[in-house]
Formats: sequence, structure tokens, C-alpha cells
Amino acid sequence: MTKANRSERKKVIRSAIIVFAAFIAVWQIISTLTPLRDFVPSASSVISAFIRSFYIPIGKHTMPHHVAVSLFRVLVAFGIACFTGVILGVLMGYFRIAEAIIKPIFEFIRPIPPLAWIPMSILWFGIGNTSKFFIIFLGCFTFITVNTYVGTKSVDPVLIGAARMLGANERQVFLRVVLPSTVPYIFAGLHIAITAGWSAVVGAELIRSDDGVGWIVNMGMVTGNTVQVMVGMMAIGIVGFVLATAMAALERRLCKWNQQEGM
Amino acid sequence: MENNREVLVEVKNLTKKFGDLLVLDDISFNIKKGEFLCIVGPTGCGKTTFLNSMTKLYDITSGEILIKGEPVDLKRHNVAYIFQEYSTMPWLKVEENVRFGLDIKKVPKKIADERVNEYIKLVGLEAFRDYYPDQLSASMLQRVVIARAFATQPDILLMDEPYGQLDMELRYKLEDELINLWQRTGTTVLFITHNIEEAVYLSERIIVLTNKPTKIKKEIKNDILRPRDIASKEFVELRNLVTDLIKWW
Amino acid sequence: MESTRRDVTKNNKVIICENVSKTFEGKKGSVNRVLDNISFSVRENEFLVLFGPGQCGKTTLLNIIAGLEKPTSGRVIVNNKEVTAPGADKGMVYQTIALFPWLTVMGNVEFGPKVRGVPKKERQEKAKYFIDLVGLNGFEKHYPSQLSGGMRQRVGIARAYCNDPYVMLLDEPFGHLDAQTRYMMEDELQRIWQKEKRTIVFVTNNIEEALYLADRIILLTNCPSTIKKEYIIDLPRPRNYVDKRFLQLRKEITMNMDKSQY
Ligand SMILES: Nc1ncnc2c1ncn2[C@@H]1O[C@H](COP(=O)(O)OP(=O)(O)O)[C@@H](O)[C@H]1O
Ligand SMILES: Nc1ncnc2c1ncn2[C@@H]1O[C@H](COP(=O)(O)OP(=O)(O)O)[C@@H](O)[C@H]1O
Ligand SMILES: [Mg+2]
Ligand SMILES: [Mg+2]
Repeated sequence: MTKANRSERKKVIRSAIIVFAAFIAVWQIISTLTPLRDFVPSASSVISAFIRSFYIPIGKHTMPHHVAVSLFRVLVAFGIACFTGVILGVLMGYFRIAEAIIKPIFEFIRPIPPLAWIPMSILWFGIGNTSKFFIIFLGCFTFITVNTYVGTKSVDPVLIGAARMLGANERQVFLRVVLPSTVPYIFAGLHIAITAGWSAVVGAELIRSDDGVGWIVNMGMVTGNTVQVMVGMMAIGIVGFVLATAMAALERRLCKWNQQEGM
Repeated sequence: MENNREVLVEVKNLTKKFGDLLVLDDISFNIKKGEFLCIVGPTGCGKTTFLNSMTKLYDITSGEILIKGEPVDLKRHNVAYIFQEYSTMPWLKVEENVRFGLDIKKVPKKIADERVNEYIKLVGLEAFRDYYPDQLSASMLQRVVIARAFATQPDILLMDEPYGQLDMELRYKLEDELINLWQRTGTTVLFITHNIEEAVYLSERIIVLTNKPTKIKKEIKNDILRPRDIASKEFVELRNLVTDLIKWW
Repeated sequence: MESTRRDVTKNNKVIICENVSKTFEGKKGSVNRVLDNISFSVRENEFLVLFGPGQCGKTTLLNIIAGLEKPTSGRVIVNNKEVTAPGADKGMVYQTIALFPWLTVMGNVEFGPKVRGVPKKERQEKAKYFIDLVGLNGFEKHYPSQLSGGMRQRVGIARAYCNDPYVMLLDEPFGHLDAQTRYMMEDELQRIWQKEKRTIVFVTNNIEEALYLADRIILLTNCPSTIKKEYIIDLPRPRNYVDKRFLQLRKEITMNMDKSQY
């Protein structure tokens, strides 16, 4: 079975590479040979600018610095979001009172997009990193909370009964049954959240800064440099893909038991 | 009387492998038109695999399966397949569920109407025509599935452990209904089960399979008179015979 | 094969149900009376089967004995104490098997002793003993999702036994298994029970299974459920499904059983 899986995986990777190459080719054709060329910078120019950005700075810094700065902001905010989101979700799912108090507030805040918070955020936290953490945090924390909440709610009551029958007390039921069976839901939330947090970086870096991949895009827009905008987009896409993949790998490692049925 | 029936299905040297795993090993047998054939075998021996090969869900490694002398072609041969799970469509009413197979086969509306009426009546669900599946009990759902299969008037009806999950009592009832339908319609039925008592109760012939790699261990003719009594001497003898062939622990 | 299965001198009652009734209240005040004044008792090391049509309240009755549900009236006494809550003195095996999917076979079987604070070495030795007893030697590190249905239920049985319960409560434990696996598991359960004597209450709606395993069968009626009849099954073990007396009893009990309402 593992053998079959591996060859299956190879096939998927191969076709992904082919599709990607085809995409670049089509892009290049559209951006050089069709009337759309005035609106789309060519693939070759974007890719070469992207490569160049590794040793020639955009603004004050080179690409690795921009990526590292943005990653730092996202990971800090994501870490705080994990912590608060899981706790809030468990509270809401496990305690009736917490649910009654927190849920309405939460549902009220949830539909407000992170971008709408920027003015208030600047007012409260200034224009430093704290503001950016806050915006990114808002972009990802809701997903973690909601998933944890749903997971805690959907624990199989028979399993809780089984644990009680084996002599588990309240605390043990919570720690040994409720939490572990929520883990796959939490991971599903983390998975969406890391991507959402990473894409909130563009918004967060609208707040005055001079580095970060979001800043590259914003600055490109302000100066009308479409190539720079697309270089920034490319960096965001690649890093986002890597983050999502890493998250999936982590999930596979930590939730070994949650694999497909059967041998 | 069985002897002069024509052969409907021929299975010739059927072999099926999954990678290196040899599941069906050079199996050959025939099914006659109108016959009620039961296949019994241990779990994982490849019974479902056989049905899936017959309905082209799986490719055959070697050998062939012929219906009326031709390779199976689901467009021309009318093969109905009842799975172990109740595969009713939850968004369709009982009547629409029964009509489903006919629509797919593009049966003209007038004929379809007649058939739907006829088979809903045969399984005794007239009062429930406008119900949705989740309003029905397990045995009623299974009846809907059976009506849907019979309504297409299949050349052959394949049933894969259809009553495995039911209470004994319901099983008895549905088994009697199935026999009744089969006798009235003359449909050819290939019935797969784990349950030896069920096989002895239903079949005209039983094929007993071995463990993997699977071969035919024995073919047994079953001409106990119907209605059959599970406590009669001949019934018990046949049941014991099959049990001894299949008991693996 | 037949040992001194029932020690006649030890006729003490381990489980006593006294006038147990249960009514579920639905929305808008509708009431559903499920159990109606049920009284019976179970002797030490007896294998009692509760037998009845689907939805008649068998699971509800077992849950009340387990302490997972409260009776509307009446009471249950296990080991001279009134049952008020679930607890480790009663081992439960479920139809849905209900293993903890995030724990390995070992983790599941040692769960009970672990939450009760038994030292690691001791509890793992014990778990190992029961894993071997149910024939899963070598599967200690497997997760439930990697096992077949029959194997999972073996884990369920080992988990219940490993906690050293005073009584075992089994709710249609083989209901989801295919016929052959079920026969095998019935043999297995009987073997384990003969090795590790315990008082067992076993729920089923399968008459073959009931007759194959029981010392005594209590036949329940449809809802609201009462005791319709009791049968002492004194056929010698191991029993034969097609034995004449067996088939006779099977016919008789089946005829006396209410038609399922659903
Ligand atoms: N799609 C598949 N890929 C690989 N192995 C399969 C597949 N389907 C079935 N098998 C294997 O073939 C054997 C027979 O399976 P199956 O036909 O489902 O048995 P049965 O229906 O008799 O219980 C099993 O060992 C199973 O693991
Ligand atoms: N928690 C509950 N709330 C309301 N009704 C219930 C509950 N549990 C069981 N019932 C009802 O009690 C009846 C008996 O159920 P159950 O004990 O599961 O029967 P059995 O196990 O014999 O099939 C059913 O009609 C069911 O709807
Ligand atoms: Mg199968
Ligand atoms: Mg039940």
C-alpha cells in the first residue's frame, strides 16, 4: 500500500510541475503576444526580477530579509492566535456559561475583516510591529477558535461514557478524551489559519513600514511598478504554499491515528 | 427442471490480482438463466471483488466473464447491483428512488410509470410512496432498494450481503419476500453472503469459496423443497456440510 | 470442556434490578415510556442474556445498570451498593465498540488502570495479559483504525476486562460483525469467560447468539418493556447451533418474541 501511495504521489507531483510550467508558458504568451500585454508584466521579467531581488535590494532590503520579517510577524501573531483560539474554543465548547457569554461577542466580531481594524489598531498600538501582529492575529484567530469549538462540541458522548465506566473523573475525561478527540479539528483550523494569517500580511504591512513581502506589494502599487507588485505576489504565494505543506506534514506526524480506515 | 435452462453467465478462468496480492485464482463456473445462486466464503476472500469485476468496477487480471456468450457490456446487459449499505438517495422520495434506475436506463415514461407502480406494490410500500428515506425504517429502505433493482427487470441481479446488518427477524421477512419476488419474476439472482443458514434457505445452488488465494472449494446443489424449514433434517444436514467447509477457526 | 460453570453454593445475587422504570420526556411534554417496572437479579458468574426486539429498551436498561442513565423509578443494586454513577466496578462493551481512536491497542486496554492510578509497569503487564488472552499478541502498537471489526471488538473486551470489573455489561457487542466473524467471537467470548469468570449481562436481539451463550435468557416485550418470560438454558457447552433442542428452543423463543415495531 505504501508503495502504491508513493508512486501515486510521484504522479501527482509530476503533473503539478507540468501544470505549473504550462501556466508560466501561457502567462508568457499572453504578456508578450496578445493585446493584454500592456496590462500584464511578462513572466520572464517578473521571474528575473524575483531572482534579482535576492541580491539587489527592493527598497532597503533584499528578498530574504523581507520574507524573514513577514514570517516573523505572522508566526508571532499565529502563535498568540493558537494559544487564545484553542483556549477560547475549548471554553466555549465545554462550558455552557462561557458559550453564552463569549459566543455572541465572537459572532459579532467575526464578520469584520482584518483590514477594517487598521485605523483602530494604529490608534491603539501605534505603527510598530504590535499593530501588525494584531491585524494578522485577527486574520487567523477566528478559524482556530471556531474549529476548536466545533471539535469540542462533537466529541462522541459514547466515548465519554466509556471513559467514565473505566473510572475516569471529570478532569481525566476532559484531558484524556475531550482534548485528544478535538485535536484533528484544531489542526484543520490551524491549517486554514496559517494560510489566512499569511495572506493578512499584505494588509498588516499597509501600516507604515519599510520591509516585508506585503510592503513590496503595497509599495509597488503606490509607485505603479507592476513588476514589483507581482514579485511580491510571487513571494507570498511560494511562502504560503510552503507553510501549508509544512502544516500538513506536522498534522500527519501528530495525528497518526487519524488516518484512513483499514490496513 | 433446472437442467434444461440456458446458460446466462459464464465465468472462465477468472483471475484477479491487486498488485502482488492474488485474490481470485483461476475461477470458472456458470450461472443459468433464472437460477438463484448463493456464493459463500470467508471475509476478505474476494466475493465483493468478484462482483466488482463482473460490473467492470475493477479490471480483470486474466480470464473472462461472459453474459449470453458476450463480454459484459453494461450498456447492453442489464445488471442490477444491490450493495450492503442501503444506497437510497436521501433527497428522492420512495417513488422517485424506484424510478431512478428506470430513468437512467431511459425507459419511456409510460412503461416506467407502470413498472414503478407494480414494484412498489410488490414490496408493499404503496402507502409510503411520498416518504423520504430518512422517514423509513431499515427494512423499508432495503425494500426500496430491492424494488428499484427489480423494476429495471435486470438480466441478473447481484446482491452483496444485503441483509448482513439487519435483525434476524427482519432478515427472515425480507428473505421470504425476495424468494417470492424471484419466483414471480424469474430473475436470475446471484446472492453473496457470509451467513450459511441464509444461503441454505435461499439458494438453488451454493458455491463455497476458499480463503485467499481464492478457488472454488465446492459446488453444492440445494433442492430442498420450499417453503424450507430451518429445523428439518435435510436443512440441518446441508447447513452442517457447508459449515464444515467454511469454518476456519 | 464443561467446568463447574456455576457454583451452586455461591448463590448470591450480584446485580439486583428493583422495579426499574424509565420514561423519556420529549419536546413539548410528550412522554415515551421505555421500561415498565422491571425486576430481576443476576447470580455471581452467571451469563445472563437480555433478549428482545429492536428498540425495546435493552440499551436503556443496560445503561441504567451501568449508571450512565438514571431510572425514573426503582433502583439497581450492584455488589450490595445502589448504582448512582458510572464506575470502574462495571465493565462495558459497546455495539459501536467505542475505542479511543487516538490511543494504540495498548493505550486503550491500559486506559482504565491508568486513570485509576495503577503504576505503569503493573498495568502494562496486566494489559499485555488481556491483549494476549483475546488473541491480539503483536498488535499492541496498532491504532484501532488499522484493525478489522472483529479485532477492534477484541480490544473492547480486553479493555473492559483489564479494569477488573465486578460485572461485565455487553451491549450487542457483535451486532456489527459479519456472520462468520460473529460465530468466532462468540466462541472467543465463551473461552475468555470460562478462563476469567465474571458475572455477565449480555444484550442481543439475535436468538442464535442468545442461545449459544446464555445460562439464562430474559425475554423483553416491546416498549414499554416488561419481562415476558425467562428461560433457563441448560444445554451443555460448547453448544451446537443445529442441535435439535437448540433449534427447538430457538423456535419457541422466536415465536414468543414480540414483532419489532419498526
Ligand atoms: N481496491 C483494492 N485494492 C487492493 N486490494 C483490494 C481492493 N479491494 C479488495 N482488496 C483486497 O482483496 C481481498 C478481497 O476483498 P473483498 O472482495 O472485499 O472480500 P469479501 O467481499 O469476500 O469480504 C481483500 O484482501 C482486500 O484487502
Ligand atoms: N436519550 C434518550 N432520549 C429519548 N429517547 C430515548 C433515549 N434513549 C433511548 N430512547 C428511546 O428508548 C427506546 C428504546 O431504545 P433502546 O434502549 O436503544 O432500545 P434497544 O437497545 O432495545 O434497541 C427507543 O424508542 C428510543 O427512541
Ligand atoms: Mg465484501
Ligand atoms: Mg440497543
